[in-house]
Amino acid sequence: MTAAALTALLPHQCSVHLVESEAIGIIGVGEATLPHMRAFNQRLGISEAEFVTATRATFKLGIEFRDWGRIGDSYIHPFGTYGSGQGAVDFHHYWARLALAGHAVPPIEAFSFACALARQNRFALPSSDRQALSSTFDYAYQLDAQSFAPLLRRRAEAAGAQRTEGMVSAVERDGETGWITRLRLSDGRTIEGDLFIDCSGFRALLIGEALEEPFEDWSRWLPCDRAVALPCRTATAVTPYTSAIAEGAGWRWRIPLQHRTGNGYVYSSAHLSDDAAAARLGAAVEGEPLAEPRVLRFRAGRRRRSWVGNCLAMGLASGFLEPLESTSIYLVQAAITALIELFPERDIAATDRDEFNRLVDLEYDRVRDFLILHYHATTRTDSTFWHDVRSTPVPDSLAEKIELFRRRGRIVRYSEGIFRDASWIAVFTGQGIVPQGIDRRAERPALDDVARSMADLRDAIADQAARAPGHVAFLDRQRLAVAA
Amino acid sequence: MTVPGERAIEHVAVVGGGLTGWSAAAALKRRLPELTVTLLAEAATAPGLIDHLPGALPSIHDFHADLGLGDGDAVHRTGAAYRLGTLMTGWATDRPDYVHGYGAHGPALPGGSFHLHWVRAQYDGAAPPFDQLAAGAALARAGRFATPVASSQDPFGRYGYGLTIDPPDYLAMLRAFAEHVGVSVDHRGVAGVAPTERGWVDRIVLDDGDTVRADLYLDCTGSAARLCAALDDEWEDWRRWLPCDRIIVASVPLRDAPSPLDRASAWAAGWRWSATGARSASEGIVYHADATTDDNARQMLSGATTGPMAFAAGTRPQPWRGNCVAIGEAATVIEPLGWSALHLVHSAIDRLITMFPDRELSGVEAADYNRQAHAEAERVRDFVLLHYAASSRPEPFWPQWREATLPASLEHSLALFRDRGRLPFYEHETFDRDEWLAVLIGQGVLPRRIDPLVRSYPAADAARHIAAWHAAIAAGVAARPPLAAFLGDPRQARPQ
Repeated sequence: MTAAALTALLPHQCSVHLVESEAIGIIGVGEATLPHMRAFNQRLGISEAEFVTATRATFKLGIEFRDWGRIGDSYIHPFGTYGSGQGAVDFHHYWARLALAGHAVPPIEAFSFACALARQNRFALPSSDRQALSSTFDYAYQLDAQSFAPLLRRRAEAAGAQRTEGMVSAVERDGETGWITRLRLSDGRTIEGDLFIDCSGFRALLIGEALEEPFEDWSRWLPCDRAVALPCRTATAVTPYTSAIAEGAGWRWRIPLQHRTGNGYVYSSAHLSDDAAAARLGAAVEGEPLAEPRVLRFRAGRRRRSWVGNCLAMGLASGFLEPLESTSIYLVQAAITALIELFPERDIAATDRDEFNRLVDLEYDRVRDFLILHYHATTRTDSTFWHDVRSTPVPDSLAEKIELFRRRGRIVRYSEGIFRDASWIAVFTGQGIVPQGIDRRAERPALDDVARSMADLRDAIADQAARAPGHVAFLDRQRLAVAA
Repeated sequence: MTVPGERAIEHVAVVGGGLTGWSAAAALKRRLPELTVTLLAEAATAPGLIDHLPGALPSIHDFHADLGLGDGDAVHRTGAAYRLGTLMTGWATDRPDYVHGYGAHGPALPGGSFHLHWVRAQYDGAAPPFDQLAAGAALARAGRFATPVASSQDPFGRYGYGLTIDPPDYLAMLRAFAEHVGVSVDHRGVAGVAPTERGWVDRIVLDDGDTVRADLYLDCTGSAARLCAALDDEWEDWRRWLPCDRIIVASVPLRDAPSPLDRASAWAAGWRWSATGARSASEGIVYHADATTDDNARQMLSGATTGPMAFAAGTRPQPWRGNCVAIGEAATVIEPLGWSALHLVHSAIDRLITMFPDRELSGVEAADYNRQAHAEAERVRDFVLLHYAASSRPEPFWPQWREATLPASLEHSLALFRDRGRLPFYEHETFDRDEWLAVLIGQGVLPRRIDPLVRSYPAADAARHIAAWHAAIAAGVAARPPLAAFLGDPRQARPQ
């Protein structure tokens, strides 16, 4: 992604040399993404049709969370808003008002167009008419990351990136500044550069092994440190959403692609053995397995600094947060955007580096808090794992967010970074944190009027969603369009 | 589960009249009509700076809309006029004057923000002055006015405008409105505040010995902060960054036709303003007491003057404490440059209404409110300070401010901009990016290098788009009426 973005967005201003080894596999086990992915593709001029065809992608309206707050619960965190998007006071205050007044109110997802589409296994592109209910959502993709990399590689090479196949055996550094001067490959070749970008994944060859930049460990909040992955044939619906199903020692993903379904179990090795995890996953997958189970090891956290000297880490080399909210590719993309905007000169100004690190930290910290919320807001007591995660004190920044929502339905606003109001509302209400008070202004309209207009809205959303094509039908239509 | 309403706040005491107190009382009662709102209108020991300032930012229209006030009442009957910006003269001695207006500069071009393209054109010697590429600023210079068109592609679709108010007339309108919507006004003087043991407000004691108790108290008594000062003495002193500490104002008759462009002119010991409403004009001088004498300053104004009024820049780190919220100068004192005072009042009121607490008054809301208020105040401070830090005047008063150690947030903004023209993002900005750019570029701060992003777009293409935009603005300005004609034309009433 980095090489393709640099060559496309900064043409002729830097030469990009990509060192890649076929011997090191791509971690991608089927990836769920966030809507920002579309902006990345657009900026690089990758059309949706080309992308969806090449990566065997499906559309994604959100994530279904099953068994999180308690066993038997299910809610969808949608890429969209609740209500019809009108009025000075946010919709969820009216929703909470009815519930507090003792009305039988359906879960808040009944008032989300994205959730309605998802629950009906339907998909359509959002309307550009801002007044329409069908404009109140966004979408992302579920894709095969293994086939995304070659597409990006072709683009990068066509735009002038040079690719070298080889293994880095030594990192040479300037004795005075500590900056990286050249990479030595195992066959003796050397590669020089002004800026070195470490995309080597968990190994963090440059920023970790060579520069020894410390890693901030967040496992006290996010104890999951393994995942076992097992793709299978799709036996049930190709859902326009990813599923995250809570399990005894972590959670399980289900990501339906066009040609198969990705499955995995993310767990805490302190609470579950690899064999037991693989066995549980094997029992849970819906169709015939298409590979042997593969175990991945990781640790939640991030580098203290992602850009040190003339070395900058991207993706897993810079940090790791479990894929519960599909943030891996997003975090890479955010770092690329920051790098492009702060693209340095040869002497690399400290201001650029500091600003990059500030932006990257902000993104990681926000995702971290949002993930912790999923483990904290639960009443599950069925295993030591859940007992442990539930009782771990949360960071102050998160404790305050929870308290503000619980008391008055307030969401802490910010205008940069991911996970805005609707995301927080989805997880809060989906996992049993409901407002005990609401915005005073939402108490003004007559209760009966509020109840009636909410019922109308719910019906309108369900009706309009029912008119959209099925997800598979939509994919087929697009495939035909590409073929034609 | 609790039923909403059972812990609800019923009574709010707004302590202090003036624009701050009346605005707060009117907005609370209008937007939360079930509240009892008592305004202790004579509680302030002296009028605040805000009650003398003519400038209001574009956000004032949102405040009016929230109250259901149309331009007929809020603008035309109060003698206010539309303002499109401020002509900044003398801030950088080797530079021409510039307009700080509201709204976008230039068209959107591929590769990066417009101003980065402009910087490249400027280095190539081919760029028109930056403020001529903003429609609002260009209209302002020409003394013309029209409301923006409804298209984001059109240069005339992307500017904002505030108001030049006549403070006494505007206040009279707010009073009438507040009383009309049911604010109960008590004109007895305030003797003092009795705090509770935990340091909240227990009651207000009036001059005649009566007391007023409420669920929530708003301290709108100006910099005296009569409520807050009785609870704690926390104050963040910003005088090392914001140099001016005196102000003299003069209300003068309107000599010429009203202009949508007010002026802020730097001089040896500070700066002075002139602004015109529909019926009257205002002048003021803002200075540092050590850099001149009061008489000297006064002589620069014509007509009857008020002042000097002394003030000390700074902010209360916790404007909301327990059951008491400081609004306006009781919370933050920043000199008038940029006309942020009324905006900060409106913003505080809106924030309070959005976060309106119940009687439990948990500290969680106060903490969030205080964090936002503090971030907002700091960035206003940074923006005002930017004018001094980026000045190039030679008189003894000036150089110290550009050599001073800046707050880290402003240092960060300046360092990034000077290096490559990037402006870092901060939450709770009052002045948007185009306003920062207007001042930075207007005062001659230019990035050291051209951002690599814009090099992916041919300079000749950028220059062509810039020239076309420039020409479209010039033509559009000529087609719009002078402000006086706009104000006098009943067909031009702003749509509600």
